[in-house]
Amino acid sequence: MKKKTMQDKMNRQYFLLILPGMVIFTIGVILPLLLAFRYSVTSWDGMSVEKEFVGISNYINLWKDANFRQAWWFTIKFTISNTIVQNVFALLFAVALDSGIKGQKIYRTILFIPCLVSAVIVGFVWLKLYSNVLPELNEIFGTNINFLLFGDGKTVLTGLVIANNWQWIGYWMLIYLAGLQSVPSDLYEAAKVDGANAVQRFFNVTIPMLAPAITICVVGITTGSLKVYDLLVSSTGGGPGRASTSVIQMIYSTAISGRQYGYGSAMSVTLVFILLLVAMIQVKGLKSKEVQS
Amino acid sequence: MKRKLLSAILCSAMVAGALTGCGGSTDDGAAQAPAAEPAAEEAEAPAAEPAEEAETPAAATDEAVTLTVLAGQSTTDAGIEDMIDAALAEKYPNITLEWECTGWDGEFHPKMQQYMQSGLPDIIIGKAQDVNTYASQGLLGEIDATYLDRGLDAARENVTFDGKTYGLVYNALYQGVYYNKTMFAENGWSVPTTQAELQAIVDDCNAKGIVPFASHMVDTWSIGNVTMQFMMNDVFNTTPDWGDKFRAGEVSFADDKAAQTAYSYNKLIFDNTYPETFSTEQTDCDARMVLGEAAMKVSGSWSIQNFLDIDENFDFGIFPFPNQTGDSKLIFEPNIAIMTSAETEHQDAVNCVLDVLSGDKDLAVEILDFTKTASMLKDVAPTFPNPSQADIDEYASKGMIVDVTLGNNQLVWGGFQEENAADIAAYLQGDISFEDCLAASDARVGSSSAQ
Repeated sequence: MKKKTMQDKMNRQYFLLILPGMVIFTIGVILPLLLAFRYSVTSWDGMSVEKEFVGISNYINLWKDANFRQAWWFTIKFTISNTIVQNVFALLFAVALDSGIKGQKIYRTILFIPCLVSAVIVGFVWLKLYSNVLPELNEIFGTNINFLLFGDGKTVLTGLVIANNWQWIGYWMLIYLAGLQSVPSDLYEAAKVDGANAVQRFFNVTIPMLAPAITICVVGITTGSLKVYDLLVSSTGGGPGRASTSVIQMIYSTAISGRQYGYGSAMSVTLVFILLLVAMIQVKGLKSKEVQS
Repeated sequence: MKRKLLSAILCSAMVAGALTGCGGSTDDGAAQAPAAEPAAEEAEAPAAEPAEEAETPAAATDEAVTLTVLAGQSTTDAGIEDMIDAALAEKYPNITLEWECTGWDGEFHPKMQQYMQSGLPDIIIGKAQDVNTYASQGLLGEIDATYLDRGLDAARENVTFDGKTYGLVYNALYQGVYYNKTMFAENGWSVPTTQAELQAIVDDCNAKGIVPFASHMVDTWSIGNVTMQFMMNDVFNTTPDWGDKFRAGEVSFADDKAAQTAYSYNKLIFDNTYPETFSTEQTDCDARMVLGEAAMKVSGSWSIQNFLDIDENFDFGIFPFPNQTGDSKLIFEPNIAIMTSAETEHQDAVNCVLDVLSGDKDLAVEILDFTKTASMLKDVAPTFPNPSQADIDEYASKGMIVDVTLGNNQLVWGGFQEENAADIAAYLQGDISFEDCLAASDARVGSSSAQ
C-alpha cells in the first residue's frame, strides 16, 4: 500500500516535470498541426474571413500537381544523397580523428566550424563560390572545369549536396567521434586475439557498437534534408526553373506568396505524415541492430 | 563581506534604474521630454514652408507616439528608413517609427498575412499594386487629400478604388531596354522600334562577338519582371482588360498568340545572353554591362544605382522593348506606395508622417537621389545625373509611356507572375516544353487575381 503511494508520488512528480514541455509542445506543434489539417480541407486564401469547406479535394489535387511531384522528387534525391554522403564522410573523418593523428583538435575544429554558420549564409557563400570564385581558378590554371553547378538543372543537386555536406559533416562527425571513444578497448583486443584484421574489426566491432550513433545520424540527416529550405532560398531560390524546389519551399510559396493557404496546408500535412513515417521506419529498423556494450 | 557589499550596490543600481526609467522604452523616454520641446522644434522649422506648417496635424505634436512600420523594400530602397527617421525627428520629435524592413519580393506579403491575423502596422510601405490587394480586404485607411494633393495626379489612378485613395505613391521606376550609348554610337546602331530592327542589332552583336543582352536569370523575379514588360506592350496595349478576360475564360495563354509572343521574347534574350545567366547575379550582370561586355539589358531603374556605383560616367539610355506592332511604350511603375492601417489608433501621428513624406522636399530629393528613381511628388525632381533621363523625357513628351500597374493589378505578382516566371525558366532550361509552360500559366488562373 505504501509502495503504491510512493509510486503515485513519483508519477505525480514525473507529470509535473513534463507538464511545461507538454504545454509548449501542444501549443507550438500539436495545435498548429490540427489547425493545418483543418485549413487543408478548405479553400482559404489566408486573408479572407471565409474558409470554404472543400473536403479532400486539396489532397486529390496534390496527386495531379506535377510541380508538387517534382518538388518531392528533388527532396527525395537531396535526402538520399545527403544521408549517404554525410554518414559515410562523417564516419570516415571520425575514425581518422580517433586514430590518434597529430593535430586532432585542430582538424576537429576546422570541420566543425561550418555548422556554426547559418544555412542562409552558407547558401550565399556557395553561390558566390560557384559563380565567381571557382571560375576564376579556371582562368588562373587554364582549365575548363564546370563550376557553375547552380546554373543548370542537371548539376544543381550536386552543387547543393556539396554545400550542405560542407556545412554538416563536421557536426555528425562529432557524434560518431563520441560514439567511437565510448567503444571499450577490450572488444578490439578480444577481436585481435581472435585473429580479426582491421577491416573485420571495423565491421564487426566498430559498426555494431556505433549503431546508436548511426540511428541518431541517419534519422537526423534524413529529417533535416526532407525539411531543407534556408539553404535553397539564399542559393538557388528553387531554380533554375523548378529544378531545386523542395517540398517546404513549395509549401511556403503556395500558401503564403500564392495565397492558397488551404492547398498549402494539405501539402504540409502530407509532409508531416511522411516525415513521421520515415523517422518511425528508420528508428525501428536501426534500433533492432543496436547492441549494448 | 565583499559579496554583500556588491549585492547592495547592484540592488541600489537596479532600484535607481527603475526609478529613473533607465530601462524604459523609447516611448517612456520620449514622454519625459519637456512638453515645450515639440513647440520649440516647430518654431525652428524652415520659414519657407508656411503651407505645410499650417496643415501640420496638431494633435500629434505634444504626445510621444511610436508607430509601427512594415516596409516591403525594393533592392534600391534599403537605407531610406534612416533618412525618414532623421526628417521626422526634426519636425515631429515626439514620433518614433519602429521599422520592420523586408524584401518586397519574398517576405513582404507573408508578413502582411501574418499581421492580418494580429493587426496591421500603423504604416505599410509597399508597391502601388499592393493597394489593390489589401484595400479590397478593407484593411487600408483612406489617405487624406492634404497629402495626396502634394503628389502628381497620375499617381492616384491605380491606387484609388470606389473613389477612395488608399496609397500615397512616392516615386516611380522606368522599365525598358537599357543600352550602352557609346557602344551603339561606335557600331552605328540606332534605337530599334521594331522586332526586325532589334534582331538586326542582335545579329550584328553576335557577328562582332558582343553579347547582345546582359541578364541575370538566377533571379527568377527578373524573368517575371521582363515578361510583364513584354505583356504590357504586346498584350495589354491592344487588350487593356486581358487579365479580366483571362479569368472569364475568354482568352488563355494557350490560345492567345500575343501572350505567347510575349513569353517567347524570353527565349530571344536567353539565346543572346551570357551562357552562365542562370549563375549570374544582378550586381555582376550590371557590372558586365557597364564594362562593355553586353550591349543592352532589359531592366528597370533599379539597375541605375548599380550602373552609376560602378562607373559614374557610364553613358546609357533607355528604349521600350519593341513589340510586334512597332508601337511599344516605355514602362512606368509607381514604386514606393505608402499605405496606412484602417484601424490605427494613432491617425494623427500617421498623418504627421504622411506630412513629412509628402511635404519635405529635401527628404524627397535625398530619397530619389539615393534610389535613383523618379518623383511622384509635385515640384520635386531628383538631382542625380541620369543619362537616360533625356530618353525618358522624349517618350513622355510623345505620350509613349504606360503604367504597368494596369497589368500588375490584373495579373498579380505573388502566386501568378512569380510562378509563371519559374515555369519560363524551366522552359528555357529545357525541362518543360513551351506548351507546358503556357498550360501551367492557364492552370494558375485561380491565383491570377488579388480578389
